[in-house]
Amino acid sequence: MQPIKWLVDFIDVRLGVKDIYTKELSGYLLPRNVNVWYTLGAVLIVLFKIQIITGILLLMFYVPHADKAFASVQYIMNEVPYGWLFRMLHAVGANVIMIALVLHMLSVLFMGSYKGRREFTWLTGFTILNLSLGLCLTGYLLPWSQLSFWATTVATDAAGAIPVVGNYLVEFLRGGPTVDNQTLGRFFALHVVGMPLVLLGLIGAHLFCVKRRGISSPPFGKEYKAAQELPFFEHEKHPDGIPFFPNYFVKDAAVISFFIAFMLAIIFYAPGMFFPESAFQPADPFVTPPNIKPEWYFLWAYQTLKIFPSEIIGLGVQVAFMTFLALLPFIDRGPERRPAKRPLFVTCYVLGILLFVAISIWGHYS
Amino acid sequence: MSRAVIWLSLAVSLVLLSIPAASLAAESVCLQCHAGLSGDLSAPVADWQTSVHAANGISCHDCHGGDATDMAMAKSPDKGFLGAPEYEDVPEFCGRCHVGIFEAYSAGAHGQALAEGGAQCVICHGNHAVKEAGLDLINEEDCSRCHSYERAALIRLALVETDTMINAVEQDLDRLYRLGFAVDEMEGTLFNQRNVFHRTFHGVDVERVRRETADVQAELGKINEQVVEIDRTLGQRKLWGSVVIGLFILVGVIFLLVRKAYEEEGG
Repeated sequence: MQPIKWLVDFIDVRLGVKDIYTKELSGYLLPRNVNVWYTLGAVLIVLFKIQIITGILLLMFYVPHADKAFASVQYIMNEVPYGWLFRMLHAVGANVIMIALVLHMLSVLFMGSYKGRREFTWLTGFTILNLSLGLCLTGYLLPWSQLSFWATTVATDAAGAIPVVGNYLVEFLRGGPTVDNQTLGRFFALHVVGMPLVLLGLIGAHLFCVKRRGISSPPFGKEYKAAQELPFFEHEKHPDGIPFFPNYFVKDAAVISFFIAFMLAIIFYAPGMFFPESAFQPADPFVTPPNIKPEWYFLWAYQTLKIFPSEIIGLGVQVAFMTFLALLPFIDRGPERRPAKRPLFVTCYVLGILLFVAISIWGHYS
Repeated sequence: MSRAVIWLSLAVSLVLLSIPAASLAAESVCLQCHAGLSGDLSAPVADWQTSVHAANGISCHDCHGGDATDMAMAKSPDKGFLGAPEYEDVPEFCGRCHVGIFEAYSAGAHGQALAEGGAQCVICHGNHAVKEAGLDLINEEDCSRCHSYERAALIRLALVETDTMINAVEQDLDRLYRLGFAVDEMEGTLFNQRNVFHRTFHGVDVERVRRETADVQAELGKINEQVVEIDRTLGQRKLWGSVVIGLFILVGVIFLLVRKAYEEEGG
């Protein structure tokens, strides 16, 4: 113990780390009734770190060229020591991130945690969700499989429905009239540099907003507090709360462990869950495989485009829905956060989830 | 409201139904024209759609020649249109692609008896609804149309084990392919061995079938060894994976117990 104490003291007199520990960890108090849904932020941070680490490892062997990309992924899966594990962690991890992001957003909505001058927290979080969808879309093309090629063709084609600028936008996204090596190049650059940099900035901004405004109490039990909209800035404190470290940290660590176990269970017991047959065939622009479907988190958007007689109406509905969600804290301004006291909101919430699931299933089987 | 839903459903259904029809029509003018004719002239379209040829993208013009992109030149001899072959010409007609099988057939009892009305390709495989080659094609009902079933039964018996092996190896390779394993080389070997196997029994010589299927089985055995090796690797991965998953669950449970202890202490 003596050498450790010496080392801590050595660092502390130079950087004051004990003070940081007291202020940011053991002295950082959370509401006493904080529940398990509050762990999803920490889960997401760990999952994003796994994506960065496995992404760097994949980058060492992946070749972003239409003639070599598929073969390089085959090489990673079959020849590189533990390459299959890194690739599976990256691909399955992306899906688990989407699950955690959706759960995080749904829990924030249900508990009205976006209320009480937390518009910036919501907006940065919502942008992270959309940027993650963008990362999934750009990453989907990189293996240059039939699935990659045709899913990207369909996805970029949807932009063509926009009046006047649609065709220019499609060409801009693809780098040409069709999906080809140009598209792969720009999607690769966006996936490994552009979007991750913006994402890191947004995660930083989101955490800053959470920390600066103060964490909201769950709207349940005797400790419930209505959302306050004061005309001046106030940090929401919880003087009688529990320390983040170690008291709440152990709950974060438990849920993180369960999420990683869940991800590994898919990798080892159901590795084909997110890989249809066309994901193993090299891209062929001359052969359209039957039943090309987007990933589960894009199925609702895919089916919405098909439901309406014109793609522009479908696209308009999607834009209107996403805009409404983004601006929700500016629209829903009532101070009440308890679900039992918000019957209209809870009805819309439940119907919205059911509609999302139903349209996704419809999209899967259509 | 319900009327709007019905119209919307009808519109969506029409769009969905028109997709396969449109792609079919764009494929070949042969199909486009014959689909609109009646009786025997339209039957080949429906028959072909159920065939192994259709499943593998082999269309009318691949066998019958002609220009499948031009209605006017579709049946022009200048564009290589051959039309329907005579009975005795069928083996050579099919043999343009199935070279090895044509050779084995020609040297065998069926091929030697062709001039006297011996069985040719379409007698067993059908013409436009060409069936995938398999042991089901050797059966008492079909073979007895021309001769007794005894010899065919012996050949079938000699083929069963190899056929079962081929199917099992095919399923194994498909399973490994779906897990991301590079099985191209093994699939190439399987493709060759399946061709050898098919050639073998088109000669309808029992002794030759027994001799040559043994060689095919030896080659299939080599593929099987590689499959077993990959399965062993997969088993090890699953074992270690289970251990790691168990550890994460255990760590999670321990953290939850620690949290519970904090709660009991009031924190």
